[in-house]
Amino acid sequence: MFDLLSEMFNYAFMRRAFVVTAILSASVAPVGAFLVLRRLSLAGEAMAHAITPGVVIGFVTAGLSVMSLLFGGLIAGLGVAVMTAYLARNTILRSDASLASLYLIALAIGIFILSAAGSAVPLKSFLFGSILGVDDASMILVGGVATVSLVTFALILRPLIMSTCDPVFFESQVKRPWIVDQGFMFLLVLNLLAAFKTLGTLMAVGLMILPATAARYWSGTITAQLALGFIFSLISCWLGLTLSYVLPETPSGPAIILVAGAIFVLSALFGPLGLRGQFSATKKP
Amino acid sequence: MPPVVSIKNLSLGFGDITLFDSLNCDVKPGSILAVVGANGSGKSTFVKTLLGLQSPMNGRIEWPTGKPAEIGYLAQLTEFDRRFPIRVRDLAAMGAWQGFNPFAGLNKTTRNRVDAALKMAGILDLADQPLHTLSGGLLQRALFSRVIMQDAPLILLDEPFSAVDQYTEQHLLSVMETWQSEGRAVIMVLHDLSVVLDHCTHALLLGNGRASFGTVNDILTPDRLVAQGYMSSSQASWMFRGQTNGGTR
Repeated sequence: MFDLLSEMFNYAFMRRAFVVTAILSASVAPVGAFLVLRRLSLAGEAMAHAITPGVVIGFVTAGLSVMSLLFGGLIAGLGVAVMTAYLARNTILRSDASLASLYLIALAIGIFILSAAGSAVPLKSFLFGSILGVDDASMILVGGVATVSLVTFALILRPLIMSTCDPVFFESQVKRPWIVDQGFMFLLVLNLLAAFKTLGTLMAVGLMILPATAARYWSGTITAQLALGFIFSLISCWLGLTLSYVLPETPSGPAIILVAGAIFVLSALFGPLGLRGQFSATKKP
Repeated sequence: MPPVVSIKNLSLGFGDITLFDSLNCDVKPGSILAVVGANGSGKSTFVKTLLGLQSPMNGRIEWPTGKPAEIGYLAQLTEFDRRFPIRVRDLAAMGAWQGFNPFAGLNKTTRNRVDAALKMAGILDLADQPLHTLSGGLLQRALFSRVIMQDAPLILLDEPFSAVDQYTEQHLLSVMETWQSEGRAVIMVLHDLSVVLDHCTHALLLGNGRASFGTVNDILTPDRLVAQGYMSSSQASWMFRGQTNGGTR
């Protein structure tokens, strides 16, 4: 075991991967927790697809650089988020149906451009990420996103808690409640982009949702859920990377998410708020 | 004493539909105004308009002593997430969130205020309980403690007793009487006329496109309740049985 770890950490790319996933875990944990609490778990997946056209256009026009990915993805993601909120406020469609419609359009545009660009696009890396090839620019991206994300979360944490727990009361207390909603969507898109390069479009949301849903089974306080979400995310990343190293044909993204999935299953089975705990089917309020 | 809020010629509605028009009323400190009316008569819309969440079709809302920095508000529980992972004391503290430092915990003064609010609502012993363990009545007490924390001169309550037992209702009514004695004005949407008759100073009856405001005894007459669609004439006859001259009990 010690030999394995020693050998693994001899490689610079593995050391980088461990560091970048630790930072990523700290950054995505609060986003994941609030995605779950705001009943937006599936919306997170939809947003991951919604950023696709921006990322693809960025890639086609400026290559696979961090800046093209960041700006392309941000424009596409925020565009879909703002349009979703606009349709939900001003038409009969609710936000889930608006988001589903818009992300499908965005995804189709992304795949259309991806196909038109042909074999130049590294499809496997696009879908599953390339955590083993994280460069300096990617590390700066993840570090920058984590800094912005954590500081913003500290600033909006209390309004975010209030708008999630009791949205009607929150709207009665502030003049522009949409700032918190859209601020959260901005953080979601930003973190998706940070996770996108390392985990890929299909797996990026997994690192947000699974540790957060697992943490939900263990604690009745938001503070403990945020801390547990980070710990579960970190364990998933580091065990997943090790698994991927031991089994060289295994892509790192799915390996990480599989570990997160195992933690979720164990939490559902043994957590105090899980299947055997106080939230059994007959006791739900 | 100047009113906390003064409503001038107010008309509310949506698009082409007018819920009521030409409402004039003053709500003074220490008064308790019951908003009564049939479903769809505009009770919750009236509350939302006072909160600034909705614009009136006509008329205006004036604040003679200045618009309060806080308006205490207890909404209906339709969108409240009872499984949200916070403790009872955290919910109460939300009432004073605007003064919090985002990078620090609550100071001692605020923590003491939270304890006092929970005590007044009768749930200090449940302060550290997770929210999802509370019954409907205890949750309503916790929400009252949040309103207490708001420390507002005007308090709006939207159907505050709709899901609570008699004992809890009595306790919450005593909290409301404390607010009244402190000179706060309370406006609450209610369906239970006995609570209105026993505890409110004024009533606003909405229905059939009209809004009638005055003291409880002037407004809650059988004739008006029937004319504004709140109850049928047979219900009114039964409720006001034994009375002559169309007055209240």
